[in-house]
Amino acid sequence: MEEIDQPPVADAKSNGAGPSGPGKAALDRDFERLYREHLRDVYSYSYYRIGNHHDAEDLTEQTFLQAYRHFERAQRESAGRPLRPWLIRIAHNLAANYHRDKARRPTAALDHVEPVMHPHDTERVVEGRERMRQVMAGLEHLSDDRREALIMRFSLGMSNREIARALGRSDGATKVLIHRSIKQLEEELAAAGAIDE
Amino acid sequence: MSEPARPLDLEALLADALRPIEPPERVSGRVETTLSKLAEAAASELSWWADELEETELQSLRDPRNWVRPIAAAAVGGAAGTALVLIEVRRRRRHEGLRAIAADLRARL
Repeated sequence: MEEIDQPPVADAKSNGAGPSGPGKAALDRDFERLYREHLRDVYSYSYYRIGNHHDAEDLTEQTFLQAYRHFERAQRESAGRPLRPWLIRIAHNLAANYHRDKARRPTAALDHVEPVMHPHDTERVVEGRERMRQVMAGLEHLSDDRREALIMRFSLGMSNREIARALGRSDGATKVLIHRSIKQLEEELAAAGAIDE
Repeated sequence: MSEPARPLDLEALLADALRPIEPPERVSGRVETTLSKLAEAAASELSWWADELEETELQSLRDPRNWVRPIAAAAVGGAAGTALVLIEVRRRRRHEGLRAIAADLRARL
């Protein structure tokens, strides 16, 4: 039933046709709302998946273009459920295409991510930055699906159910995935001396 | 003498390391420009299609099987155009107030 969880992002034959019909104006308003509410989500996800702002911008643009092309169907099939998982799934597929096309290892992306610092406590800026670098390095050692799940949870604040829909997994499997991801990261950081075991 | 490593809330650390990133202003501009180009391309397609019509093609259009292309072009042009108008209108609304927006909409209609 979850056809919208399989957006045809690699569909080269897509004719670009957008929504049409009598409810077009309402549909466009809904798309605009989706765009405004989740631009930051898509951009953040893209940045943490790709590792640089330039390509994250491209990915964000492509994500919304794909979403626009298939929005009518997605909205129809979502039956009122939030469309953020569908949107993130589009970005997820495009990011996978990006890494495949560039023949890069996805795990390398976070090597270049500069931790975003908001130093409210100036005494701990240096220590905090170093710890964040260690977190990024720890994330790099995780498998793709574990890292993605953590990005969705901690950058986008997605629930287990939303992450499950975005990754095409069951709720239970997603809960286990996140638990194991955190546990592995904890072990990585402990081994690096960043935190106590 | 260095302090021993403190126990940390890993989830809080992750939330801090992976905090959301505000997209640059140019990103929304790019998305809107792309939709605009989509609308323009569809309009050009319609224009070209109309210019190229000959009598035989007009006759062939009486067959509904040949209606797909113009309908698709009209649909994408209209949809993208409407979305852009909405986005632009709402952006202006913040700056100009409802009166100016009403005048703008009247002019567009």
